[in-house]
Amino acid sequence: MKRLHLVGLLAVAALVAACGSSGGGAPSYSGKTIKLGAILSLTQAGGVYGPQGRDGMNLAVKQINASGGVNGAQISLTVRDDASDKAQSAAVAQTLIQQDQVMALLGPTLSNSAVAVHPLAESLKTPILAVSTTGIHIVPDCNFPTTTPCKFVFRDSLGEETAIPANIKSYVADSHPKTGVLLVAQDDKFSSDGGQIVQNNVAANGIDLLKTVKFNKGEADLSPYVTQAVQLRPDVIFITSLGAIPAKIMIEARRQGWQGQFLGGNGFNTATVSKQAADKGKGARSASAWYIGNTFASNADFVSAYKAEYNGTDPDQFSAQGYAAIKILADSAKRANLTFTDLAGDREKLRAAMEKVNIQTPLGPFQFTADHDVKQTVWVIAMDGVGGFTLVHELK
Amino acid sequence: MDQQLLNAIFIGSIYALFAVGYTLVFGVLDILNLAHSAVFMFGAAITYSLVVNHGLAFWVACILGIAASALMGLVIEHVCLRPLRRRRAPPIAALITTIGLALIIVAAIEQGKPGSLFAWLWVDGANSVAFPSTAVPNTTWHVGDLTLQASKVVIIPISIALMLVLGYVIRYTQVGRGLRAVAENPRAARLMGLDVDRMISLTLVISSALGGLAGILFGAALSDISPYIGRDSVEVRGLAVIVLGGMGSVAGAVVGGYLLGLIEVLAIVAIGSNARGGVAFAALFLMLVLRPQGLFGAQLREKI
Repeated sequence: MKRLHLVGLLAVAALVAACGSSGGGAPSYSGKTIKLGAILSLTQAGGVYGPQGRDGMNLAVKQINASGGVNGAQISLTVRDDASDKAQSAAVAQTLIQQDQVMALLGPTLSNSAVAVHPLAESLKTPILAVSTTGIHIVPDCNFPTTTPCKFVFRDSLGEETAIPANIKSYVADSHPKTGVLLVAQDDKFSSDGGQIVQNNVAANGIDLLKTVKFNKGEADLSPYVTQAVQLRPDVIFITSLGAIPAKIMIEARRQGWQGQFLGGNGFNTATVSKQAADKGKGARSASAWYIGNTFASNADFVSAYKAEYNGTDPDQFSAQGYAAIKILADSAKRANLTFTDLAGDREKLRAAMEKVNIQTPLGPFQFTADHDVKQTVWVIAMDGVGGFTLVHELK
Repeated sequence: MDQQLLNAIFIGSIYALFAVGYTLVFGVLDILNLAHSAVFMFGAAITYSLVVNHGLAFWVACILGIAASALMGLVIEHVCLRPLRRRRAPPIAALITTIGLALIIVAAIEQGKPGSLFAWLWVDGANSVAFPSTAVPNTTWHVGDLTLQASKVVIIPISIALMLVLGYVIRYTQVGRGLRAVAENPRAARLMGLDVDRMISLTLVISSALGGLAGILFGAALSDISPYIGRDSVEVRGLAVIVLGGMGSVAGAVVGGYLLGLIEVLAIVAIGSNARGGVAFAALFLMLVLRPQGLFGAQLREKI
């Protein structure tokens, strides 16, 4: 009798297991946890961008876990602040990889920090998905000047090498400016890369770059630099800097009576900058990876869920990229046939699965290129003078 | 060059105002109060918050912001300095306690988000914000090629008036004599019946009020208020200014502030935009080699 009971139990168990894994052949991760770690700049210069990224990620984690997780596994996301500092960013990454044993990393917020973090993740064979870094040599050559492609580094953010030229070209088509001055923070990778891209693209667009004014990102008073730019009376002022710098330059230039056009990069693309610049920033144009009103399938759901979660706050590009990143990792994990016993093996499986991701995100239909970069629609947006943005062009 | 000269005078005024408070504490106590930069930020942050989040008029918010900064001076004295004096700790210990307090103040403001413990004080986290132009009108005049912004122009008379008042108080009033006595020799001052602790508290209150005011003017003039405005360039330059002027000399801090502003802008115009820090500090270095006591540092160590 007892033996029969046992056989019956085993049969039921086998049946349950079969049902569990019968949904399209996906493996069951039931009861397991997928540990992810995000390295974000929540304070200091990058604190203008990091918190929205975190909020987007947390929303995606919450949604996925609430709807049954990844094949039954819950996602646990650890977010750590790197204080916008390269050394701290690398230290945090090391801790997450080796001590917290995360399966994959997201971040860091700033390209300047990615220079330290991405090669580290690559050498420790841990997949890392860049969510907001837009500098040069992020993917595939994370070990630049070594050009061997980095296998474990991916990015879902739009590189400035695509965004800045698109923005310049579209403005030139609209308004035919003749002259420009570039204001660039020289001691920051994101900013100086952006400046380099501007310099490489002005001539082809018929703009005479009258002067490049370099300064350091930590300087309090930017008015002497703005005066240098304004005195040349350029049609366009290019600003490739981050944090509070773009808004400070805009305010000072307008106060000094300059009426021309501001063109910028990813440093413009958050509500905080638009809000700080307020009426002085109205019309400042940049190319963005995301626009709140885009009509991609999953965007409207994302926007309304985000607003519901965060007291009516609008998401921005960084929230959308953070949110998309979690969805990308969750989809990859679902297909990766993870073991949860062999961490190194799982990291490799996840990496391989990431290369084949093909899902809908608020950024649009998402696939990585062969270089692990993003290929997507570019939105040229302009600051609206009250803390938001309006759409100028959609560039497919 | 002309607009650049104005730029130099404006930033020089802010350096001066920041440095006067800084040097005052050094003059009286022989201690560098490294929390001064945090008070500078605190004054600006609380004033912004009172205007934007609590709807007060700018000038009311300014007065409250300065008062809050002055109170912060008392906190510095009671938390960082007095306990060390009681235990006869070496002056270097005060460097650590004041740095510690500065970090705590910055971290506390950084945590200020809607719904958090510090939401009444600051809700913008690590973000940088600017006074809205509706709340703080910033009239701009164009005279020829020159641009004069009200928010910058007012700094000059305010700075000069305050420094004159401070100079008068120190030199000609009973309180000033008390301060100088403490600066000269605290033990002798105590033996003469002076309440030394009270004098030191007063020094910190005045110093911090000036620091807070400098922060408010900085925030309004440069459209930049964040938990970090006291750091980086302001703190290091403030230190440079008081060394240049002569440690502890109020007049030296004023002259030093304007001088540093001028050297910096001159470096940008004459050499190039990225020469600012290098040239300014090279000039400081030269200055110190030629005159180690600073511009106004008396050989006989007559302080403040």
